[in-house]
Amino acid sequence: MKTAFSRLRLPPRRVFLAVLLLGLLMLLLSGCDTDTPQNTFDTKGEVADKQADVFYWAMWPAIAVMIFVLGGCAFLLIRFRERDPNYVPPQIHGNTRMELAWTIAPAVLMLGLAVPMVATIFDLGREPSEDAMVINVTGQRYSWTFEYPDILDADGNPLSLSSLGGPAHIPVGQEVAFHLHSTDVIHSFWVPKLGGKLDVVPNVNNVLWLIADEPGSFSGQCAEYCGLDHANMRLTVVAQPEDEFQAWVDEQLAD
Amino acid sequence: MSHAATGHLETSTGIDNKKLLMWLFLASDCLFFGSFIAAYLLYRDRSLVGPYPEDLFDIPFTSVSAFVLLMSSVSMVLALSAIQRGNVRGLQIWLFATAALGALFIAGQAYEFTEFYHEGLRLDTNLFGTTFYVLTGFHGAHVTIGILILLSLFIVSLRGGIQQKDSLTIELAGLYWHFVDIVWIVIFTLIYLIQP
Amino acid sequence: MASIAVPRRSALAQALKGARHAAENKSSIWSWLGTVDHKRIGVLYGVSAFFFFIVGGGEALLLRTQLARPDGNVLDADQFNRLFTMHGTTMVFLVVMPMSAAFFNLMVPLLIGARDVAFPRLNAFSYWLFLCGAIFLNASFFTGDIFNGVLGAPDGGWFGYAPLNLNRYTPGHGMDFWMLGVQILGIASLAGGFNFIVTILNMRAPGMTLFRMPVFVWMTLVTSFLIIFAMPVIAVALFELMFDRLFNANFFNPDAGANPLLWQHMFWLFGHPEVYILILPAFGIISEILPTFARKPLFGYPFVVFSGIAIGFMSWGVWVHHMYTTGLGTIANSAFGISTVLIAIPTGVKIFNWMATLAGGSIRLKAPLMFAVGTVAMFTIGGLSGVTHSMVPSDYQQQDTYYIVAHFHYVLFGGAIFALFGGIYYWFPKFTGRFMNDPWGHVHFWLMFLGFNLTFFPMHISGLLGMPRRIYTYSGDMGWDMWNLISSVGAFTIALSVSIFMVNFIISLRRGERAGADPWDGRTLEWTIPSPPPDYNFRETPQVHSLDDFWHQKYAEDANGRVVPALGGGAVEPAAEHGHEETAHSLGIHMPSPSFMPLIASLGFPCIATGLIYDYALVPVGAALILVGLFGWAMEPATEEE
Repeated sequence: MKTAFSRLRLPPRRVFLAVLLLGLLMLLLSGCDTDTPQNTFDTKGEVADKQADVFYWAMWPAIAVMIFVLGGCAFLLIRFRERDPNYVPPQIHGNTRMELAWTIAPAVLMLGLAVPMVATIFDLGREPSEDAMVINVTGQRYSWTFEYPDILDADGNPLSLSSLGGPAHIPVGQEVAFHLHSTDVIHSFWVPKLGGKLDVVPNVNNVLWLIADEPGSFSGQCAEYCGLDHANMRLTVVAQPEDEFQAWVDEQLAD
Repeated sequence: MSHAATGHLETSTGIDNKKLLMWLFLASDCLFFGSFIAAYLLYRDRSLVGPYPEDLFDIPFTSVSAFVLLMSSVSMVLALSAIQRGNVRGLQIWLFATAALGALFIAGQAYEFTEFYHEGLRLDTNLFGTTFYVLTGFHGAHVTIGILILLSLFIVSLRGGIQQKDSLTIELAGLYWHFVDIVWIVIFTLIYLIQP
Repeated sequence: MASIAVPRRSALAQALKGARHAAENKSSIWSWLGTVDHKRIGVLYGVSAFFFFIVGGGEALLLRTQLARPDGNVLDADQFNRLFTMHGTTMVFLVVMPMSAAFFNLMVPLLIGARDVAFPRLNAFSYWLFLCGAIFLNASFFTGDIFNGVLGAPDGGWFGYAPLNLNRYTPGHGMDFWMLGVQILGIASLAGGFNFIVTILNMRAPGMTLFRMPVFVWMTLVTSFLIIFAMPVIAVALFELMFDRLFNANFFNPDAGANPLLWQHMFWLFGHPEVYILILPAFGIISEILPTFARKPLFGYPFVVFSGIAIGFMSWGVWVHHMYTTGLGTIANSAFGISTVLIAIPTGVKIFNWMATLAGGSIRLKAPLMFAVGTVAMFTIGGLSGVTHSMVPSDYQQQDTYYIVAHFHYVLFGGAIFALFGGIYYWFPKFTGRFMNDPWGHVHFWLMFLGFNLTFFPMHISGLLGMPRRIYTYSGDMGWDMWNLISSVGAFTIALSVSIFMVNFIISLRRGERAGADPWDGRTLEWTIPSPPPDYNFRETPQVHSLDDFWHQKYAEDANGRVVPALGGGAVEPAAEHGHEETAHSLGIHMPSPSFMPLIASLGFPCIATGLIYDYALVPVGAALILVGLFGWAMEPATEEE
C-alpha cells in the first residue's frame, strides 16, 4: 500500500552520522561542567586520580573502536547497497589471516591494558599506611556514623557523629583509613571526588583508604540499594588544612 | 522420522533421545548439588554456636547406611541386566530390592535427623544445621523420588508392562539411581569423613 | 515413558482422548491449550513475551517520568523500588528469554530439517510453566492495596541481594513472589534447555553435520548448555533464600555468622552466563539476517561458531566482575579483571566477521537488515563500555551508577531487543505468508534507534557524574537534571516506535503483501517449505550436502567464488492448491498428538508457590496436580494410535 511515507527516502548516512555526532557532542559536553558535586572526573584525591587515569587508558581506544565500527557500518551500508537486484556478489567465505589479525590485535591491546590495570589494583589495594587516621564508618539504614577511635574526649569516649548532623571532617593531605561496618544490610561507601566506592558488608571488615589533595566539601552517597530510603542515604566529607581540622575537633569534643 | 531395524528412532548421534536427556539432566543436577555442597563447605567451622559436626556425627552408623545405598546400586545393575536378558521375574525381584534398600537408607537418614534434632540441632540453630539439613534433605528427596519411580516401574512390570524391548526405561532409572548414589559418596566423603 | 502399554482403557483415558479430538479443530482454544507443535508454541512464547515487553516498558516509562525532574513526586520511594525491581525482572525473565525461546521453537526444527523438537510435550510444559511463573510473579502487584497506590510487588531489586532479601529487611510477600516466581521460571527454562540440546544433537537432517548447521542453531545449542548449567545455581540460591525466609534458616543471616556475599557469588555465577544466554540467540539471529540481505555467506563461519563456544566457556570465569567493590581483595579482582578483559576478544571477532559479511555484498536495506546492523553498532558501544568496566580500578567509580545502566541497556536493548525485532521482520513472512510493511519498518527502526540512544547515551554521562542506580529521586544541585530529562524524552520516543511496530504487525497479518516460500532469496532450509509451513514442516526429510545447502541448490560457485546459476537448482516444496492441502495423515506422517498433561502439570507449581506463601494446605494440592499431570504424561501415548 503506497503511502506518502513509503515514498519518503531517509538517507541512512545522514541520520547515522547525525546520531553519532549527537553522541560525541554529549560526550564532550559532559566534560564541560565539572563543578557538579559527585563528578568522578573532578578528582580531588590520589585514589580518584589513579582510577580516572585507568578509565582514560581504556576510553580512548574504546572511542577509536566505536568510530571504526559505527562509521564502518554506515560506510558499508552505503558503499555496498544493492544497485542491481540480479547481481549476486562473489561468495567470499572467509580469510584466515584476517581472523588471526583481528583476534591477536585486540588480545594484545586488552592484555596491554591489563598490565597497568593490575598494577593499579595492587597500588590502590594495599593496606592503609601505619600513620593513617582511622575512622570507623557504620552504615545503617539510612545514615552514616563516623567514629574517630584515636580522638577521645575527656571521658575517653571517641569522637562520634552522624551524617544526619553534618559532614565528617578529615585533614588535607593525610591518608584516612575508613573501616566499614554495617549493622543491617549491604551499603556502599562512596565519595566520588576522593575515590571509588567500597561495599559495607555485615560480618566483613572492608577498609578503604583515601587522601584528599586539597581542601573542600565532597559529596557522597550510598551506592548499594539498601531499601526504601536508599536515595537519601547521603554523606559529606570536608577536608581541611591541619589547623582548621584540629579546631573542628576541639569544637566537637567540647560539646 | 526414520526407524532403524531395532524399532528405535534413528538419531544423529546414535544415542536415544531419552538417554541423552537423562545424561543432560544428571549433568545439570551436578551443579545443583555442587552449589549446596559449596555452601556447606564455605560455612564449615563458621557456626557461632553448637552443636557442631564433631559432637553429632556417628561415622560408623552413617558408613553402614552409605553401604546400604551402595548395595542398592548393585541390585539396580542386576535389575537392568535381568530385563536385558528378558528375565522379567529377575527384574521384579531386583527392582524391589533396590527400592527396599533405598527405603532403608532413607530410614537411616530419618533416624539420624531425629537424633540430631534431639541433640539440639535444628534448621535455624546455626550455620551447620542450616547447611546440613538442606543439603542432605535435598539428597534424601532425590532418593525418595527414585524409590517412587522404582516402585512405579515394579508395579507396571507386575502387570506385564515391561518386556525385554523396554529395557531402556530401566536403564534410565538406573542412571538416575546411580547418580543419586554417587552424590551420596561425595557428600559422605566431604561432609562426614573429611574433617578439617 | 514410551511404549509401556497399560492394558485397560479407563474412563479418564477415554475423556482425555475426547479432549484431544476437540483439539484437532485448529481454530479452537483447545487446540492451543493442548498444542505440542513447536510452531504454535513459538507463537505462544512470542505473543506472551511481547505482552510482557509492553508491561516492562510501561514500568520503565513510570520510572523515567519520576526521574525526568529532580525531586519528582510522580512515584514515592516504595512504588519506585517495586517498579524498578519488576522492570528488571520482567525484561530479563519475561521478555528476552521467552522471546529467544519463541525463536528457538519457531526456527530450530526448520533450520535442521526436523518435524518438531525431541520432546514436544516437554516443550509445551516449558511454555505453560513459563506462563504460570509470569502470571504468578505479576500477581504480586495486586497483593498490596493497588487502588490506593500500594503495590505488593517485590522490592529487592531484580538481583535481590542478601541480607536485604531477608524477611526482616524486606517484609511482606513481595520478595516471596519474586523468589518463587523466578524459581518457577527457572525450571521452565531448564526444561527448554534440555529439549533443544537433544533436538539439535539428535534430530538433524541426514548430511547436516554440526559444521553445516546454521549459526542460529549453534547459538541455540551453546545457550541451552549455559541454561542447563546456570539455572541450577540460581535455583539453589533461591531455595536457600526460601529456607531463610520461610523457615528461619541461616544461609544469609549475618547474626548466625553467615557471609551475605554467598548470595552474590551464587547469583552472579548464574548471572553472568545468564547475560550470555540473553545475547547469544540474538547473535544467532543476526548471523542469519546479514548474509541473506548481503547475498554473501557469513564471513568466517567457523570463527563465528568457535567464538560463540568460547564465550560459552569463558562466561563461567568472570562472575566476580559484578563484585569488584565488595572487597574480595587484590588477587581475586586482578584475576577476574584479566578474565573479563579476555572475554571481549571472541565478541570482537564476531563483530568484525559481521562487518566483513557486509563488505563486498549487494545489500538490500530492508527492515530486518537495518535491525541487524543496528544490533552490531549498538552492541559494540555496550561492549566497549563493558571493557571500561573491566578495568577494575575505574569500575570502583562506575559500579552501581547509571554508567552501568547505560552499558547493559546498550547490550541488552541495543543488542538483544534490536536483533529480536529484526528476527520478527525476517521470519514473519515464513509463518504468515505475508510481508510486514517495510517502509513502516524503517520508521520503527529509526525512531527506535533515535529514542534508544536518547534514552541511554546520557546515562553514561550521569553515571560518571556520580549518579547511583536504584534511587527514586535526586536533588537538583547534582548536575544530573539535563541528562535525566533527555533520557525520559527518549523513553517515550521508544514507546512511540513500538506502537508503530504493533500497528504494522497487526495490519500486516491481514493485509500484508503476499510472500512465497523464499521471499528473501534465503540460504537455509526454512525457505524450502511453503509459507506458512504445514504441520509436518517438510514433506520429505531433506538431504543436506553443505552449509547453506539451499543456497547451493540455487547458485553454484566457480573456483573464485563467483556465482553461476545452478542447474535445475533451488527446488521449493510447492504450496498445496487451495482445497487440496495435504495433511500429515494423508502423507502418512505421524505427528505427535495434542496433550493437556503439560498444562495440568505446570499448574501445580504456582499452586505450591501460593501455598508456601499463604496456606500450606495448597502445597499437597499443587504436588498432586504435578503428579497427576506427570502420571498422565507418562501413560498417554505420544502419538495417537490409528
